Amino acid sequence: MAQPGSIFCGSTDHGLSRRGFLGAATAATAGTFAADMTRLDALKSPLLAREVKRQQKSVILLWLAGGASQFETWDPKPGRPTGGPYAKIKTNATDVHISELLPKLSQRMNHTAIIRSLNTKIGDHGGGASLMETGRVSDPGLIYPDIGAIAARELGRADSQVPDYVSMYTSTEGRRKGTSGFLGARYAPMFLSDKQVPENMRRLEAISNDDHKDRAALRDLLSKRFTQSRFSEKVNSHTTAYSRVHGLMSSEKLFDIEQEPESVRAKYGPRQFAQQCLIARRLVEAGTPFVKVARAWWDSHGQNFETHRELCADLDHAMSTLLDDLEVRGLLENTLVVTLGEFGRTPGINASLGRDHFANAWSCSLSGCGVRGGSVYGKTDPDGHTVAEGEVGAAQVFATMLAALGIDHEKEYMIGSRPIPLADFGAKPIKEVLA
Amino acid sequence: MSWSDPAKLKRVKDFGISGIAFCVAREPGTGKLFFGNSDFKVYEVDALAEKPAPTAFETEGHQSYVTGVVRSQQQLVSGSYDGNLIWWDAESKKSTRTVKAHERWIRRVTASPDGKVVASVADDMVGKLWDAETGQTIHTLIDHKEETPDHYPSMLYAVAFSPDGKWLATADKVGHIVVWEVASGKKAGELEAPGMYTWDPRARRHSIGGVRSVAFSHDSRLLAAGGIGQIGNIDHLGGPSRVEIFDWQKGERLLTIEDNELKGLVEQIEFDPTGNWLLAAGGDHDGFVSFYSVETGKLIKQDKAPMHVHQLAMNDDATGFFAVGHGKIAHYEFKSDSPPGPAEPPLPEDAV
Repeated sequence: MAQPGSIFCGSTDHGLSRRGFLGAATAATAGTFAADMTRLDALKSPLLAREVKRQQKSVILLWLAGGASQFETWDPKPGRPTGGPYAKIKTNATDVHISELLPKLSQRMNHTAIIRSLNTKIGDHGGGASLMETGRVSDPGLIYPDIGAIAARELGRADSQVPDYVSMYTSTEGRRKGTSGFLGARYAPMFLSDKQVPENMRRLEAISNDDHKDRAALRDLLSKRFTQSRFSEKVNSHTTAYSRVHGLMSSEKLFDIEQEPESVRAKYGPRQFAQQCLIARRLVEAGTPFVKVARAWWDSHGQNFETHRELCADLDHAMSTLLDDLEVRGLLENTLVVTLGEFGRTPGINASLGRDHFANAWSCSLSGCGVRGGSVYGKTDPDGHTVAEGEVGAAQVFATMLAALGIDHEKEYMIGSRPIPLADFGAKPIKEVLA
Repeated sequence: MSWSDPAKLKRVKDFGISGIAFCVAREPGTGKLFFGNSDFKVYEVDALAEKPAPTAFETEGHQSYVTGVVRSQQQLVSGSYDGNLIWWDAESKKSTRTVKAHERWIRRVTASPDGKVVASVADDMVGKLWDAETGQTIHTLIDHKEETPDHYPSMLYAVAFSPDGKWLATADKVGHIVVWEVASGKKAGELEAPGMYTWDPRARRHSIGGVRSVAFSHDSRLLAAGGIGQIGNIDHLGGPSRVEIFDWQKGERLLTIEDNELKGLVEQIEFDPTGNWLLAAGGDHDGFVSFYSVETGKLIKQDKAPMHVHQLAMNDDATGFFAVGHGKIAHYEFKSDSPPGPAEPPLPEDAV
């Protein structure tokens, strides 16, 4: 039974006194975050996690590279000539049905909004990916930052010692690193491709840990002496950069899922995509504002139904486990989980039982932070050839993601004398899917 | 009198249908076909009519793709991705029995040569033998793994009875083939054909392929498995059509045939009653029907079919067949007025 003056539901996991909680929260949130796992360990307390979530919003983008079929995921059309063999199933959201290939997610739709009316027009992989990553058509005179870089810029802390933008893309087909564009290298992704742990983060073997610390202390001492009698933005910037690098070097363990209890790893299971989702959760929990986990390759020109049987099983398990994990830790309402790709797939089923590229009427999903769970926006015609209601493009989806995170989508970056809004000119968020 | 002569293969005619026909059964001695379709329906059509006009079995039927249809004594039995087997009165076109047969998608249905037993395979990775008359389960056949070695759902694609009705073969996505004794439901042998399963761990991280067809030779000694060979770009069915022939009781692979001329999945195999040739049919974006020597694997005759072929129904005298597939039905003949000459000498091993 809960005692007066304490915040305790009875669970041993929640056995933290209010005084202890406030002390820990203060320690963890004051000044720079320590990236040496102290914060992650502290966040094992759900109470502390809840405190942090009020300050830190994050995005986990599940990038369905190659283009997942809307028919076999979010917009099933069973019984129609275009519908394929799979049935639709009820979800835990009223009147919302999704493909039977996503049975676990069907029981988590209370967290998720579906947008079924994307008409993005660009049906090639490179063009489609660029459009959906940046929310606008490429401009030859300007390289736009992608959603990850903008989230890093808008949600990241200047003094953060964890990476602001991590992009995981292990498969080689369609591999894209992501771009910070005109925001510069500070917001470029830490890119993981072949390995799940960043390379070049460790101190050199020739330098001992003590040496490493001594060097940092000496540099800090000299820097402080230098700035005692003078103010310099450059020196401050230099100091911040050093501090950040030291933090990043200490964050290697964030990528090591062996640090997780066996019970947690077992829930995510043996498949790579799910394990990368677990890394994403660890990063978000430690304060990383944007993590992209790419799952390639959905480009099912042949054997669409076999491909989706495999890949949807992957998505269904990984995303469901991730949503549960975030929810249990009190992080879901401050973490936006997005499924998006470069386009959807054709209504027509070709002779190889495949579906080809199709950008005229397809779907994506938003879950968690700022999202009206259980909502569906837009509608396609009975066979999925066209958008019947609520047509939206990449810019509106972009604006919606920003709005869900509490970021003003009309805020402008000044590039020279040119104002560039975060979401493309005139784009409005889809308020029907926002909480 | 006619004799089969694959060298004389010719397409007699083809005609369009709505949707995709996945399976076919034939009324013996006629051009009357029953086929299962992607519009969830079973159809009857007289393929020899001047203007064939499919007629749907309109009563309450399947709720997904119909992937198996067989004649069983006086009835018709169909199976579907909805997991149901439906017994039909072929004359009235009305269903007489619906059985929830599998927890997942039924991939294929076949009947024993005497029509008394029906077999089904599905993605619950279980094969089942059914009493064709009562609709009762006779045996449940469990050996195929639910997951691939890469931890993804596997699929149980293929099933066939031996001509003597004693054996049943089932085959799955990763190339695991099991021969069952029909009477006891016990495993009598197993074979592996991993060359038909492509797992791409690097570029695309999913798989394609699987054993899509199995067939016994007419003496039940040989077992052929059909599918597709290794594929570089698994976005497409751009791999060689592939057949492997086994002496299944010895567990020996006798022959591997890979054909890059007309690529894709081998969806069905039929053995020649005399043991000289086998017919493989299937496709990628296009289709093929190909005759090979059982002895040497040498291509005898091949036709680029007008559609991806999903299944075919052979004449009783093996001089022709009807193939069904993507949007079309095609009628082929390969008959001769004189008996075939002596078999060709075997090719050297490296020629295959």
